[in-house]
Amino acid sequence: MRPTPLSGAFWLPLILAAVPVAALTIAIPLVNRVEPRIFGMPFLLCWIVSWVLLTPAFLWKIGRLERHW
Amino acid sequence: MSGSGLALAIVAAVVFGTIAFALLGVHRIKMDPAQYIVGGRSFGTIFLWVLLAGEIYTTFTFLGIAGLSYSQGAPAFYVMAYGTCAYVIAYFITPRIWQAGKDLNLLTGPDFFETRYDSRRLGVGVAIVMFVMIVPYVAVQLSGLQILLRIAGYGAYNATASVCIAFLILAFFVFATGLRGTAWASVIKDALVLGAVVFAGVALPMRFFGSPSGLMQRLLETHPQMLVLAPGDAYHGTIWFASTVLLSAAGFFMGPHSFNAVYSARSPDTLRRNAALLPFYQCLVSLMIFAGLSAALLAPGLKGPDVDQSFLLVVQRYYSPWILGLIASAGALAALIPASALLLAGASVITKNVAADAFGLATDPKSQTRLTRILVLVVALLALGVWLVAGKTVVELLLIYYNGISQFLPGVVAALVSKRATAFSVGAGIATGFVVAVPLAMLNINPLGMNPGFVGLIANIGVLVALSLATRPASIAIAE
Repeated sequence: MRPTPLSGAFWLPLILAAVPVAALTIAIPLVNRVEPRIFGMPFLLCWIVSWVLLTPAFLWKIGRLERHW
Repeated sequence: MSGSGLALAIVAAVVFGTIAFALLGVHRIKMDPAQYIVGGRSFGTIFLWVLLAGEIYTTFTFLGIAGLSYSQGAPAFYVMAYGTCAYVIAYFITPRIWQAGKDLNLLTGPDFFETRYDSRRLGVGVAIVMFVMIVPYVAVQLSGLQILLRIAGYGAYNATASVCIAFLILAFFVFATGLRGTAWASVIKDALVLGAVVFAGVALPMRFFGSPSGLMQRLLETHPQMLVLAPGDAYHGTIWFASTVLLSAAGFFMGPHSFNAVYSARSPDTLRRNAALLPFYQCLVSLMIFAGLSAALLAPGLKGPDVDQSFLLVVQRYYSPWILGLIASAGALAALIPASALLLAGASVITKNVAADAFGLATDPKSQTRLTRILVLVVALLALGVWLVAGKTVVELLLIYYNGISQFLPGVVAALVSKRATAFSVGAGIATGFVVAVPLAMLNINPLGMNPGFVGLIANIGVLVALSLATRPASIAIAE
């Protein structure tokens, strides 16, 4: 049985999934700058690479919540 | 042997070696259509990961990203962002597409539309559009291959003729092996591309600038505007960035070759694990950005389609023919292996959805496999013809593909979540998306700074939702 649209179990995975997508799209105008640089890399690049690396953790958590692993 | 001969000889040896390896991997497998087109729905996590990475990381990863970084800088970061957003979408939709494929015995992307919406006309329409969209995507690979062969030959040989020969060899390879051969060839391709990308992104900046951060320091001194996006609705500004990321993410798994790859998985959890793991591969893209940015400092002045050559020209100028040959072989496989998956997918939609379903030709499994094989050669010749006539940069060709292919996502999502969507509303949505996106893209108009394909996608969703609410619900749904 899939959870019904009103339960938390239905919405939590979708909210978790929306976080990286929002970080990589609508948040971009807010992080579009060079400073502060991290290890010499411009901030915009660091932001994007960080979210690329964090996304597997979000998807892994969603898989746990949905009991796929 | 001269330098030019040596580098090209390495490329030829690697391409033939890979094909031989893949032929050995499949030589005992009996080819019915399910085996030929979707690998018998049996690929586990690792084999599927290799296949998906093999199809996704193409000559665009290799040359296009470096070219875009070289000419524009920060807009190239969009590639990392869209791939990652695409895997988030894939986590939710690909297991359900797989389940429908298994339950209803689907082989192609158009099968999904035809069966869920119970409409042969929609299935045939989707098949034809997917087939047409495959052609520019294959042309992307051919443009890349031409650049690689020209530079590996130090300009001494006719690259166009070499491309034609290499591509026809590939078409016969697909003819013989189907999807399994492509997956085996991807194993070698991924290993070589990994080596080449690490060389490009780490060794190149270290040799010339001390470290990647040294490269950034030099860029900030000489081209400070390159490392951030233009604000708001400016050309390649932040609005372009966000809308292009969403559009490309929507199109990522909508190509007919992606449907084949999804059906080839062993289980839905194989697909979920892949979606969670693939973003790591996306990090490699950042290394190609370093390579392109290094080239911007080392070999400035290239314009138009020539920007795609930037990083290879640096390798050609400063390194031995051995290294150039190995890098060019990785690039050649990055063009040929995805092209093989594309040829197979283009041929299978026409065989299954147009010839067999619509015209009643080749209905038994044996003649379907035979017709798919013949069509692989036809698609190859067609793509070659289009490529010889047209002439655009790798990124331009790729954006044409994404503008079109993304228009299929609303219909797929509607099939999985709604019982109200019908063949009519989905078909009208797709048509609207094309009518809006194609003229805007051809005239180079970006409304409010947005990507034209994204505007088409919004119109598509609007029409789909409005018509679905206005019409009678369909009787069947493959939503859970």
